[in-house]
Amino acid sequence: MEIIEKIKTNKSDNKLTEIQKICLHKLQSSPLPNPKSELWRLSNKSKLSTFLDYSVNEKDSKFDIPYPKNSQSTIRLIIGENCQIKLIEKNYSIQQLSEDELQKYIKEQISFFKQNENWSDLLNLSLSCKNNILGLKINGSKIPPIEIFSHASSNSLDAKTLVIFLEKNCNVELLQVNLGKENSSLSQSTFFCLKENSSVNHGVVSYGENRSNLLNSLNVIQQKNSAYNLGSLHFKFNYARFEISIKQSAGNAKTNIKGMQITKKDEQISTYTKIEFNGPNGFLDQINKSLADDKSHAIFEGSIIVPKIAQKTDASQLSRNLLLSNLAQIDTKPQLEIIADDVKCKHGATISQLNEEELFYMRTRGITLTEASKLQLSSYFQEIISFIPISKDKWDLLDKLLNEN
Amino acid sequence: MVNENLVQESVKEPYKYGFVTDIETEKIEKGLNEDIIKLISHKKEEPQFLLDFRLKAFKKWKKMKEPDWAALGYKKIDYQDIIYYSAPKQKEKISSLDEVDPKLLETFDKLGIPLTEQKKLTNVAVDAVFDSVSIATTFREELAEHGVIFCSISEAVKNHADLIEKYLGTVVPTSDNYFAALNSAVFSDGSFVYIPKGVTCPMDLSSYFRINSGDSGQFERTLIIAEESSSVSYLEGCTAPMFDTNTLHAAVVELIALDDASIKYSTVQNWYAGNEEGIGGIFNFVTKRGKCLGKRSKISWSQVETGSAITWKYPSCLLLGEESVGEFYSVALTNNLQQADTGTKMIHIGPKTKSTIVSKGISAGNSKNSYRGLVKMGTKATGSRNYSQCDSMLIGDQASANTFPYIKSQQPNSEIEHEATTCRISEDQLFYLQSRGIEFEEAVSMMVSGFCRDVFNQLPMEFAAEADKLLALKLEGSVG
Repeated sequence: MEIIEKIKTNKSDNKLTEIQKICLHKLQSSPLPNPKSELWRLSNKSKLSTFLDYSVNEKDSKFDIPYPKNSQSTIRLIIGENCQIKLIEKNYSIQQLSEDELQKYIKEQISFFKQNENWSDLLNLSLSCKNNILGLKINGSKIPPIEIFSHASSNSLDAKTLVIFLEKNCNVELLQVNLGKENSSLSQSTFFCLKENSSVNHGVVSYGENRSNLLNSLNVIQQKNSAYNLGSLHFKFNYARFEISIKQSAGNAKTNIKGMQITKKDEQISTYTKIEFNGPNGFLDQINKSLADDKSHAIFEGSIIVPKIAQKTDASQLSRNLLLSNLAQIDTKPQLEIIADDVKCKHGATISQLNEEELFYMRTRGITLTEASKLQLSSYFQEIISFIPISKDKWDLLDKLLNEN
Repeated sequence: MVNENLVQESVKEPYKYGFVTDIETEKIEKGLNEDIIKLISHKKEEPQFLLDFRLKAFKKWKKMKEPDWAALGYKKIDYQDIIYYSAPKQKEKISSLDEVDPKLLETFDKLGIPLTEQKKLTNVAVDAVFDSVSIATTFREELAEHGVIFCSISEAVKNHADLIEKYLGTVVPTSDNYFAALNSAVFSDGSFVYIPKGVTCPMDLSSYFRINSGDSGQFERTLIIAEESSSVSYLEGCTAPMFDTNTLHAAVVELIALDDASIKYSTVQNWYAGNEEGIGGIFNFVTKRGKCLGKRSKISWSQVETGSAITWKYPSCLLLGEESVGEFYSVALTNNLQQADTGTKMIHIGPKTKSTIVSKGISAGNSKNSYRGLVKMGTKATGSRNYSQCDSMLIGDQASANTFPYIKSQQPNSEIEHEATTCRISEDQLFYLQSRGIEFEEAVSMMVSGFCRDVFNQLPMEFAAEADKLLALKLEGSVG
């Protein structure tokens, strides 16, 4: 109940938006997720309570963007900075969603929420004030790349919400960066709606600092013939959860996901994905990589749900994991739930360490052990990083991953 | 092209073991309480340690909740509406098989069990358990020559109490899970096998379990101990008559393998599965676990699961000994409204341990077939390896196939590989076979058999033939 009290004491009841009230009401019946439920049983309870310990921050504070804006055409938005955007160009338009549209859509989403599955969203929406919700409607083609930033300030809990409508026949490259400052908690919820024939290359880079926490949830609805490509990277968080829910509402859509999480020290980062095919001819190719070092814990749970209607679904899911220390641990659970019979579904999972034979080979060629390990790791990372829509000259993620820790 | 109706029809096959033997049985009243447990213990003339074991388990069971995490849906079981002890009435002491009620022997003959010693040529020693009580064990003398003990667990309690006291409940503790606790409290019979040091059991051992009453549960307990450098192959078969009520079967199997020992445990489970509307059938909640205690020991589970309305079964291996090996080969076929949630657990504790999992699920009709498995590498399991393969085949668009593999590693110097696929019978292959003049139903049967080949290869010869036939029977039928 503490969390509810906290939100309420921060604001008097009449200052809460309608959505906040609805979500608070839902949270009241069970303020915390059920620790025995499949989605939360491995989550570190004390880390989750640290997440909730910080006081809610609704003010805007400055932060440093990790790389300069080097192309004039890139559209950069920061959630919470009161940004007003209305771009109507020859080929495309980007506009903010009206308050009514925003409220209608979020309310509809809330009606589908389940207590444990959407606890992060419920928390987010009960914390997010008007200024911290950004709704965009994107239309047209030849749209310049879009970058959207969310951040949490030190010693506070920030909640940011992003809603994006991608109109018919539109395609776009969108990079979302979540930054956590030292001793901070960020709750980020993203709602994506892809209309027919639209496509998006979506990158999510979540990068924390010392003792920062993150609850990142991503809800995607794909209409017919849409293509959703997601490249994600989560690292340097004391505690982070990345919850992805993708619904192909009428099938006939393509989803590609390449995600990676890296844990060191005593961090815990987990990824939960749920892909539902609600129509025929759906396609999914998913790979999730984890790397766990020191005393850290990396978790991946992915479920693929293929009901009877989703005939001719082609789905594959791969979980590849590197365990680099005796004290680290990895849990992975790729799961399939299938009723349709004319489908091709497969999944695979591996857990191992760096390949010793390859290391030995490189060492016989005069490469030091450290360098050889780096080379192996870089090839492991590269597959995912190359899928994130950000150029190397802007932000060299690979270099960051290999050298920073 | 695959004709859906043909496939649907071809998986319908009546249950041929559905007869009831009209035999006088001795039953106790329904319900479960301490007095009932004491009564069971008293009837079996058990020593005090066993009664204490039962009462301790019952105490724990009362505090436990029936598990609900499995992907199964069934009517709540009323544990007070079950008879916990039912035995065929027989003469006080049986000196040879001739004295066993001929009706009983007839039943086993109908089931095709080589119970009588005339069938010595088959070279399989059988322990037959009818409802709750072991009826007869064959080939005992020949086994005794090698020092092998193969008898019912009640006999073992009387004659080898030290072994029972030492090992019972060491692999599956009384508080392990709800059904294991229930079994520990009320188990009535089962088999006991002890293979002494250095002995390779001269023949396959086999148990045949038969539930005959509609209102009594079956709670058998099997304990197999393989001493250093010994080896044994154990086969288990199960059938039951057709009743409109659901009968509970909650068994516990414990295997212990010491240094260099190997145990191969094969099951063909064909309990009554209920009718097409899902009425009746056995609720099969079984806890099977093997402990590879010794270095280089090996436990191999192979199972063919075709029966039961509900199957909840996860034969597991605890790999403690260095270089010990665990194996799990399974075929699970579900049809009509059957539900199966089955798989395995491979817990790697010792170094250089290895495990292999091959699971094949076939779902037809409106059935639900789930694989649920756990592979865990503990912190000391350096140089350990696991390989898992789970394939599902769907027949018809009403059946469901689920895969839930849990994988956990705490040891960087170990490797885990898991792969799973789901498919349906390939139309191309069916078309090819049919174009070569093979009948539709035979082609389906051939493909299912091919799909399960990896598992059948692991079954003892006699069982492999039976399993193949059983699947073919379930998939053949009214076509043509």
